[in-house]
Amino acid sequence: MTRRVYLDHNASTPVHPEVVAEMTPYFMEVYGNPSSVHGFGRDARAGVDLARERIANFLKVAPDQLVFTSGGTESDNFGVKGLALARGRGHIITSRVEHHAVLRSVQALETQGFTATYLPVDEHGRVDPDDVRKAIRPDTIAISIMHANSEVGTIQPVTEIGQIARSHGVPFHVDGVQTFGKVPIDVEAMGIDLLSFSSHKIYGPKGIAGLFIRKGTKMVSIQHGGEHERRRRAGTENVPGIIGLGKAVEVRARDMHEEAARVSALRDRLWSGISARVPEVKLNGHPTERLPGTANICYRHVESESIVLGLDLKGIATSAGSACTSGNVEPSHVLVAMSVPLDWAMGAVRSSLGRTTTAEDIDYVVDAVEPLVRKLRQAMPVGVA
Amino acid sequence: VRYSPTLVDHFLNPRNAGMMRSPDAVGAGEYTACGDLARVFLRVRDARVAEARFQAYGCGPTIAAASAVSELILLRPVDDLQHLKPEEVERALDGLPEDRKHAAEVVADAVRAAAADWLNRRV
Repeated sequence: MTRRVYLDHNASTPVHPEVVAEMTPYFMEVYGNPSSVHGFGRDARAGVDLARERIANFLKVAPDQLVFTSGGTESDNFGVKGLALARGRGHIITSRVEHHAVLRSVQALETQGFTATYLPVDEHGRVDPDDVRKAIRPDTIAISIMHANSEVGTIQPVTEIGQIARSHGVPFHVDGVQTFGKVPIDVEAMGIDLLSFSSHKIYGPKGIAGLFIRKGTKMVSIQHGGEHERRRRAGTENVPGIIGLGKAVEVRARDMHEEAARVSALRDRLWSGISARVPEVKLNGHPTERLPGTANICYRHVESESIVLGLDLKGIATSAGSACTSGNVEPSHVLVAMSVPLDWAMGAVRSSLGRTTTAEDIDYVVDAVEPLVRKLRQAMPVGVA
Repeated sequence: VRYSPTLVDHFLNPRNAGMMRSPDAVGAGEYTACGDLARVFLRVRDARVAEARFQAYGCGPTIAAASAVSELILLRPVDDLQHLKPEEVERALDGLPEDRKHAAEVVADAVRAAAADWLNRRV
C-alpha cells in the first residue's frame, strides 16, 4: 500500500483522540439545549461553560469576552462587519494578503458605503506598521490584519500595529485562525480588540470557532434570532463542537511549545532536502517570522497543480497556490501581493506540517518531489512567463 | 484520484516529452483562461507522422493529454490531423472531468496548428 503523508494541516487537521473522547458523551448522553432550564439543558450548559473557561484561561481573557461561531469565516465576518455596522459608515484598513473571509467582508462593506485601504506587503508578505499609521484617517473605524498568513506562514507585526491602533483609538481585529494554538497570542500586549480563532486547525472538530471581543468594543450582531451568547450571536450552541474546541485548546496549551520546535525542525528538513536536490526553487515567506509548520515553495516553470497531482498519486497531500477549478487560473493573491514573479508564483506548493508528521514522512516527500519536478520540467517549455 | 488510470499513467510517464531538433512542423495551443500551453513537434515522412514530441505547461491532465496525443497521431496522415477533435484526445485518455476538458482542447489545437504548419511549409 502506498504510504500516506498529510501535509495540509493549514487546511484542516485530524481531531485529537483526547478531543474525540471528551466530545463523545455530548452526542448521546448530554444532548440538552444549553438554553433549556431543565437538568438536561443545565448539563449541556455546564459543558459549554467549562469549554469557554478553558479557552479564556488560554487567552488570559474573561470568559464573557468569547463568542462561539460556526467557523473562522463567520468569526472574520462577525469581527469586520460587526465593527463596521455598529458605526454605520467610515474607513477600514486591511491588507492585501488577508484571508478571503476578511477581504470579501470588507469588499461587501464597500458596496454599502464604507471605504477601505488594502495595505501592500513586502517581499516576505509583511505589512509595514508605518503604512498602517499613514493609512489612518479621522474616519477610520477598524483595522483588520491577520496574525499569520495561511499560504506562506508569514507572521505579521501585530504588536506594533496594535499599539498604533490603540494610540489612535481604532478597534483592531486580528484573524488568528492560523496562529491560535500554534504560537503565543497575548491580546493585551498585542492590543487586540477582536480575535478570530478556529477549532479544526488545532485538532478540534470542524464547524466551531470563536471570536474574542474585548469588553467595551462597540459591536452589532450579524446573525439574529434567540438570545444566545449574551445576545451577540443567535443560534443554539454547537455543544459537542464547543466541548471539542475547549479540549483542543487545553491540549494545545500543554503541547504547543514542544510541538512548534519539533515541527519547525521538520519544516527546515523539508526545505533543505528539496532545495539541495531540486534546482530553481524558492521558499516563500519571512525567514524567521513564520508559522512553525508551513513551507510554501515555488518551483519555477512548473505548474503547481501538476505537482500536487503527482504528489497525491504518491499518497502525499499538499496544496496548490493556484488552481484552475473554474477554468480560470490566477496565482495566489498573497504571492501577487508579495511581488513573486508569475513564472515562480504559478508553481507554488504549500506543505503544512502537524503533530503527526515524522522525519520519515519528510524524507519520503523529498524523495518524491525531486523526480516528479524533473519529469514535469522535461515536458514543459522553459521560460513560460 | 478523479482521473482515469490511462491519464494517470501518461501524467506519471509522459511519452515523447521534450523538444525536437529540426522538426518538419510545429504547432502550439493555448488556453488563456488557465495559462495552459502545449507545443507539438512533428517529423513527417510520406505525409504521415513519423515522430511526434511535445512540450506542455499546465495541470496534470494537460501534460497527460499531450503525451497521449503524441502516440495517438503516430503514422496518421498529416492532412487528417487538421481536423483532430478534442473528443478524440479525450477518448485517448479514457475521459476527462468536466472542469478539465480544456486539456484536450489545448492539445488538439496544437496538433491542428502543427498540421497546418506542415501543409503551409509544403506550399
